[in-house]
Amino acid sequence: MSEIDIPQPPAKPVRTLTSRIWHLAWASVEFRIGLCVFTLLLLAALLYPELRGIDPTAMNIRARFTPPLLLAEGFSWAHPLGTDQLGRDMLVRSLVGLRYSLLIGVTTVVLMLVIGCAVGMVAGYYGGRIDMLLMRLTDAQLSIPMIILAITILGVARPTIPAIILVLGLSGWPVYARVMRSTVMAERSKEYVRGARVLGASDARIMLSLLLPLVLPPIAFVAVLDIARMMIFESVLGFLGLGVQPPTPTFGNVIAEGRQYLLNAWWIATMPGVFLFLTLGSINLMGAALERARNSVYGGQR
Amino acid sequence: MFIMVFLAKRLAQGTLIVVLVAFVIFTLLRVVPGDPVRLMAGGMAPETLIEQIATEMGLRDPIPVQFGRYIASVAQGDLGQSFMRPASGAAVGGASFDDMTRSERARVLDLIAEAAPKTLQLALLAMVFALIVAVPIGVAGGLHPGRWPDRMALYLGSVFVSLPNFWLGIVLALLLSVKLGWLPAIGYRGFAYTVLPAIVLAVEMAPFIIRTLTVSVAQIMRQSFIDIARIRGLSRLQIIVRHALKNASVPLLNLLGVQFSMLLGGVLVVEFIFDYPGLGLLTINAVLQRDFPLIQGIAIVTSAAFVLINIAVDLATTAIDPRLEY
Repeated sequence: MSEIDIPQPPAKPVRTLTSRIWHLAWASVEFRIGLCVFTLLLLAALLYPELRGIDPTAMNIRARFTPPLLLAEGFSWAHPLGTDQLGRDMLVRSLVGLRYSLLIGVTTVVLMLVIGCAVGMVAGYYGGRIDMLLMRLTDAQLSIPMIILAITILGVARPTIPAIILVLGLSGWPVYARVMRSTVMAERSKEYVRGARVLGASDARIMLSLLLPLVLPPIAFVAVLDIARMMIFESVLGFLGLGVQPPTPTFGNVIAEGRQYLLNAWWIATMPGVFLFLTLGSINLMGAALERARNSVYGGQR
Repeated sequence: MFIMVFLAKRLAQGTLIVVLVAFVIFTLLRVVPGDPVRLMAGGMAPETLIEQIATEMGLRDPIPVQFGRYIASVAQGDLGQSFMRPASGAAVGGASFDDMTRSERARVLDLIAEAAPKTLQLALLAMVFALIVAVPIGVAGGLHPGRWPDRMALYLGSVFVSLPNFWLGIVLALLLSVKLGWLPAIGYRGFAYTVLPAIVLAVEMAPFIIRTLTVSVAQIMRQSFIDIARIRGLSRLQIIVRHALKNASVPLLNLLGVQFSMLLGGVLVVEFIFDYPGLGLLTINAVLQRDFPLIQGIAIVTSAAFVLINIAVDLATTAIDPRLEY
């Protein structure tokens, strides 16, 4: 990774690590491709359903099983991706599904970050018995297969959107806690932290205003990849019937419904998947580029 | 001697983790709404009968009492009996509420023992597929950092990781078994039925292997012992196989330990799509039927497997790289 040269002209004022990571990521083709695709999809998801004014749950029995444009006989320009078994427009349904998926994915990752970083920060900063307790808790949680936990809770309780976010967020934090703890432990004994303590700074102040801005960015960059992972999880839950419930369209439940009509209307199950794939692909490309940039910045620093 | 101490310590820790997992799942299942007795006896059963069955089964006792009783029997190797499934195989529950005597219900251990080998077969085949695809791509990427094999590894990894497994399963089933008729897809009647689910699972695992290998091979190739190997006159192939791959297998094994739960998630979905009668399908059905003993049993077995795999991984990595400590 060190073979990527990081431009560091000595005359320039020192740039923060964060902005160096951004610049390095921005310089890679992967990141730009990802960003373009993602922006297009996001705009489409935000604008198209509003502009068309079609309700994603509006049925039109006469237009049911309309195939997508140009791919089979009997297509219609009014429904570019065709319609499902109840004549609902697939493009609008996919895009509305994308909204929910993104909403859940982003919120979940934020929740995971908050819990994981708080636990890791406290454990790493105080050390000793608190650390021991919190880390055993983290280990135990890591060894519960997350998906079993999620489907157990959602299977026996009612799957609403906040419940889904809570379950996914609560089951995903341990990884962050571990990373956070190890970086905080490395920082804790450094001069500037000791200096701040001598100056009378409280523990909370040191943690929030000194350590957090330093250790959070490298973790947050990698969290981008987790947004995609959580979106997959959300759609898996939907697919199993444990996610957001129909008639609200999400990728998971649309595909699960379409599966019953796979042989005579293949597009119902496959088309939303293409959207999901494109979204995940763009997020993953951006995430991978950011991760590489982070690794090379931190690798070059050491 | 050293290794015995290590094993004893890790097994003790592992047992604690398994008990903790059992307790969490046990409590969760009893706290959330949804009465299993109502499902077992059927919607038409009178309230008094439901209370009677529940009391007989000990479901109205305080949770710690129930858990104590449960863990005591688990320690004796008895995971209890399924609420829903009779030993004969047909599904019970639903409309009728003629009370089955408890002895006729299937034992959880039997249900798991029946499903586990199929899942193991699926997971191993998927692992083989994933390694066949991912190792060449990952190693090539690691040997040429910044150049096209590295890019390709990045792109392929991103594509693979972005393919939702359930969607890929449906698309592959549509293409390979419906349109082309190459592979059977639904159910299990022989080894051929494992292939398609294994492919889907392999696609899910491959990106992580690719990424780990690219990073670790690139790191190892910068080490000085690689340069020295070159000076010692070893061929490039020898360097790669004997030095780079051997060292890169350590993070790969660690990945296996960490990603176990992800693999399990994949198994769950893939088995559900292809109606493959393994642990995953058993889990989903158990959750949908609120079959508490079965869910608990599966959680205990999987977390025990997780603990054991991680111990095995640590043993294997120290065998490969003696510098690592237990």
